Amino acid sequence: MALPAPLVAELTELVKKYPEKRAGLIPALHRCQEELDGWLTPETLEEVAAFFELEPVEVYGVASFYPMFNLRPVGRHVIGVCHNISCDLRGAQEVVRQVCELTGAPVGGTSPDGKFSVRTLECQGACASAPMFDLDGVYHEDLDSAKVAEILGGLS
Amino acid sequence: MIPGGELYLLRRGELKESHTLAVARKDGAYSVLEAVLKEGRDPAAVTAEVKDSGLRGRGGAGFPTGLKWTFMPDPEKDKRSRYLAVNADESEPGTCKDRVLLREDPHGLIEGCLLAAYAMRLDAVYVYVRGEYRLPYQRMQAAIDEARAAGLVGERILGSDFSCEVHMHKGAGAYICGEETGMMESLEGKRGHPRPKPPFPAGFGLWGQPTTVNNVESIFNVPFIVERGAAWFRGMGTEASPGNFLCGISGHVERPGVYEVPLGINAKTILQEYAGGVWKGRALKAWIPGGSSTGLLPGELIDTPMDHDSIKAAGSMFGTGAMIILDETACTVRASQVIARFYDHESCGQCSQCREGTQWLSEIFTRLETGRGTAADIDNLERLARNMAPGKTICALADAAAIPTLAVVRHFRDELLAHVEAGGCPLESRPSESRAGEEVPA
Amino acid sequence: MTKTPSTVKITVNGREVEADPTKPLIAACHEQDVDVPMYCYHPGLTPVGSCRICQVEVREGERPPRVVVACRTPVSEGLVVNTEAPAAHEARRNCLEFLLKDHPLDCPICDKAGECTLQDYTYAEGQTTGQSAEPRQNFEKRKSLGDKIVLDQERCILCSRCVRFFEEVTEKPQLTVAGLGSRSRIETFGDRPLEGNYQGNITDLCPVGALTLKQFRFQARVWNLFKKSSTCGECSRGCSISVEVLRLGEVKRIRPRYNPKVNRWWICDTGRLATEDANPEGRVPALQRGYSGLEACEVDAALGAVRAAHQAHERNLLVVSPWSTVEEGRALLQLAKALGAEPLFVSPPASGLADDLLNTGDPCPNRRGLEELGFTPRTTEEVLELLEASETATLFGERVAELVGEEALRALSASQRVFLFDVAPLDAPCVAAFVGLANWVERPGTWVNVDGNPGRIQAARPAPSGIRQPLALVEALRPMEAASR
Repeated sequence: MALPAPLVAELTELVKKYPEKRAGLIPALHRCQEELDGWLTPETLEEVAAFFELEPVEVYGVASFYPMFNLRPVGRHVIGVCHNISCDLRGAQEVVRQVCELTGAPVGGTSPDGKFSVRTLECQGACASAPMFDLDGVYHEDLDSAKVAEILGGLS
Repeated sequence: MIPGGELYLLRRGELKESHTLAVARKDGAYSVLEAVLKEGRDPAAVTAEVKDSGLRGRGGAGFPTGLKWTFMPDPEKDKRSRYLAVNADESEPGTCKDRVLLREDPHGLIEGCLLAAYAMRLDAVYVYVRGEYRLPYQRMQAAIDEARAAGLVGERILGSDFSCEVHMHKGAGAYICGEETGMMESLEGKRGHPRPKPPFPAGFGLWGQPTTVNNVESIFNVPFIVERGAAWFRGMGTEASPGNFLCGISGHVERPGVYEVPLGINAKTILQEYAGGVWKGRALKAWIPGGSSTGLLPGELIDTPMDHDSIKAAGSMFGTGAMIILDETACTVRASQVIARFYDHESCGQCSQCREGTQWLSEIFTRLETGRGTAADIDNLERLARNMAPGKTICALADAAAIPTLAVVRHFRDELLAHVEAGGCPLESRPSESRAGEEVPA
Repeated sequence: MTKTPSTVKITVNGREVEADPTKPLIAACHEQDVDVPMYCYHPGLTPVGSCRICQVEVREGERPPRVVVACRTPVSEGLVVNTEAPAAHEARRNCLEFLLKDHPLDCPICDKAGECTLQDYTYAEGQTTGQSAEPRQNFEKRKSLGDKIVLDQERCILCSRCVRFFEEVTEKPQLTVAGLGSRSRIETFGDRPLEGNYQGNITDLCPVGALTLKQFRFQARVWNLFKKSSTCGECSRGCSISVEVLRLGEVKRIRPRYNPKVNRWWICDTGRLATEDANPEGRVPALQRGYSGLEACEVDAALGAVRAAHQAHERNLLVVSPWSTVEEGRALLQLAKALGAEPLFVSPPASGLADDLLNTGDPCPNRRGLEELGFTPRTTEEVLELLEASETATLFGERVAELVGEEALRALSASQRVFLFDVAPLDAPCVAAFVGLANWVERPGTWVNVDGNPGRIQAARPAPSGIRQPLALVEALRPMEAASR
């Protein structure tokens, strides 16, 4: 299935920033993931490859390198909990446990109802407001168990 | 030399709506650029000012910024396109300072970029922001759009002969893309594999063209240095490490945060007076001076000035100046395991020693922390770390994994041994918010 | 900009040598027959400097000696290299330890054993006791990459030669490193099979047994193979190859030999997988048509019958195979003259395999050699027409029946009287006699390739008992010429 026309128009514009088209690949993959399905399907990778005049295997090699790109389906909500040192010192492990408990998703997996995907992340640059998690692209910082419950409780 | 000098880095960001052009410009944003353009100042003079200021890179390596600028080839002889790539990938654990600058004072950064572009006679600036920093990216993009509309970015800036583009670019979550050549590979749309050096970016950078890579905070200093002069800058900090810096302090403290302080200020002062001391009235066990790659130091060494030479003399590195504090209940073995796991996850995988070594260190620390370690493991940690670094690999990620390993073996061998003897973490019995008494998953 | 000199003087292990400054230090060492280990480096691919095994000690001017990777070190005037320095060996040993930590202990079942540089370098440099207590990672172990290649991701040491081969040599990426760090593995896109006629080269490039050829899987231990330099006959490129035979029997493997003028380091899969054709079945020394069809006979008897027929007839057709060597061609030319026949060779249609790399698409290994001698090519249609117009026809040479067309030959009537000299017999009514020939791995000779480069073929094994060399047979056909006129 071809990329939607507005997305193609956006990518066409995006690559003009660079002297070589390929430089737009990673921003393009972000946009595709955001607009289509929340993950990069094999079809999407092939379409992106065609747009950039690359082989699908090259695009796949790039996409698989970067943790932000999902190459498998994800839940409706994606929660990434930082488990690096500053967050670990301030209770990240507890946050992980609580998030998994409340969502029913295992670390690195998706809840059976498909609503939540939970993963641990490396340092997100919120060290002075640890512990934190990233929920659908938004940082939630200075977490404690009450806050976690409140944030997750408010999700559909 | 001078603790307690004036604050200039975070000042504008304190203003309401500081990220908007209206507020920023009223506060003086772009006035330095304007003056330089009006005067038609010699670009070499701008470079000289930055070089004379002694400003050292704020991204972790501490390389003199102005000196790096002089590595760009003479544009009269080398006609290739020339770039500044601003490293806003900020992924060094403990580091959260560039985020503040990008988010609160994007125009300050843009002005710095343009002055750097003027000095080095560049065609364009690319700001590579880590993919997770969505609001900072949006603020920067909006600021560039505003600046462009006001004739401050793009063709014939402020009616002068100087033209320069500033483009935002997004990363996608790999720490290794904060390494300057890994960043350039990523910017070009490839896997973030660092390139062997030589050649260096000034000769072969983005798309093979001359490129300078500088950290956000480094560039952020430029307008101030150009406006107020090298002597002003040297009036702050120490002789070898002049200026103010943004110290992010995190971990077991009362008031974690990002604080602007002069280089050379004592680490104990930052801990006690800015961050409110170790939390919960506890004692300091260990601390990391400048991000996880620098290697921890025992608490006794907290009485050390925060500048490049002093921290090096103490046995660690200034790095990004991101202090991480461990209290008496913290387990340095667990901390090492968490940090080793990070490097294992982030190694690009090119070099044999790093690809396998980062995993190996992570596995050994995990076994030690979970009671399956031996005394031979401790010796092996040291041996492997010495076989990974220094200078044995394409980039310094291997060094970044090796150094903290050697540090914990050097300063906390007893604690490592205690884990072996106890068949697990002896601190497990102590109540601690930082641990659930569970195995840390891989 | 200063002009790059054409050579610079460097000192390698105490010996002053001239080095090419356009190539890295490792190439200079190898060109001087000085061993420097390598995985990611290959002279036919862009150097990446990732494996870190090629470590040598260098001294430049007054700088203290340091250990560097030779593949990313330029040669500069006055550079002093010591490839045997203790520091260099130490660095290689440490690198090997990291590579072996996660490498599966597959040597007893791995095809690469005996020509595996992980084995070789470890034997030369490494510590003999493993120091890792960690369980090895599991990856895909017998992953089919299509009909030619098997991938074992666990054995892979991530040198990325295979990835770069498709990118740089075939110019169509097919493999990538997926993931990063210790989770890296080689993959195609979505498990797609590999395509194209150059896949086999990645099994030569792979330093270990991660990429192996299905054709060769479990076929032989490489130390039992007798290897002979030869030339590929599948097209007129005439790539230099090594023919590898197990115990005087089957050709088990064909691999490229480096030839800077013809094929460099590569061959196409058509040539590589010609092993099957190299071991034809059903061969016999000679057959003659009797009452109940073609019957085994003495070679001399068959030759006698052929000579007699030649003597008895005016219009003798002689068509030779383009697999004939230059040496055989000269002798066949004499025979043609003696028979009053025009010297011809059958020129089959283009194979359809021509590409931008090596394969010319012309299935005649010695077209140029034969033409230069004075042979005229004839298409299969022309040959068949000539056959029907002749009184006797002698078809001579390896694969001549196949190239003229076995089906077409079978359709000819018994009165045609064809004398067939080929590797395997053809039971067609027109065949009056058959004499078996040694094939291209059983005989010496020269083919001239499309560009005029001569390529030697050599016997890698003796021909089966009783089967003779073509050259000897041609000469045996000649003495009758004295009596024919």
